[in-house]
Amino acid sequence: MSDDIQKVIIQLPASAEYVDIVRLNLYGIASKMGFSYEDIEDMKVAVSEACNNSVLYAYEQEDGLVDVIFEVSPNALSITVKDEGESFDNVKASGERMTLHDKELSDVQVGGLGFYLMQALMDEVNVISESGKGTVVTLTKKLHLSEERV
Amino acid sequence: MNTHKSEKFHVTTKTEDGVCTVYLRGELDLSVAADFRLVMEPLVEDTALNLAINMKELKYIDSTGIGILLSILKARHGLAVKFTVEEVPPHIQKLFDMTGIAKFFASQENSH
Repeated sequence: MSDDIQKVIIQLPASAEYVDIVRLNLYGIASKMGFSYEDIEDMKVAVSEACNNSVLYAYEQEDGLVDVIFEVSPNALSITVKDEGESFDNVKASGERMTLHDKELSDVQVGGLGFYLMQALMDEVNVISESGKGTVVTLTKKLHLSEERV
Repeated sequence: MNTHKSEKFHVTTKTEDGVCTVYLRGELDLSVAADFRLVMEPLVEDTALNLAINMKELKYIDSTGIGILLSILKARHGLAVKFTVEEVPPHIQKLFDMTGIAKFFASQENSH
């Protein structure tokens, strides 16, 4: 394999019914690269959360599109989820360090876990959100080749 | 391990000995969240029965699904009735541990 980064790009309607298509593509690409079962599960959750944000917050009631770009390099997989809707600054601000660990059941708020999961499950998370220009989330997982193959 | 197969989300319930058990199959994500919430609503409000969710055949859950479980925990806690989860697959338990929802399930296990 050359050192060049190879790209797989898919474009989908910003609709909840299509998020599983992203997971299926992710599974195909990540298993081909040799990621472990556990790493693939982690990426599935993180990528779905990024897509959920685009589906839920980017386009309100209007139709929109989400671009998902898989960048395959010899030692890492980066997945970029991109929309051109409203930015999700608010979601990020409210969700960033939200976990339930130090809370009582009566105090917890439902929601805000998605962003936390992305950060916890990936090696790198980059969010660029510009008002009116949409949101670009890039998630990276490093490839540690091991015995356990899918 | 056939986890790459997208399996349609499916719910069945069984009531026995004062416990209503809800069996989940497939992927619980944003696309089925509203349906799941609807199915659970009357069961959550039923204080005559203990409520349990069996996750043996659950392949995937996202933060929307975890959010629903959290609202069920809150509602059942408010009504002072039991809500537990059983046969949680390891990759889902990992998410429960990470988010911190696991401790609420654990405290339900120990209460009577």
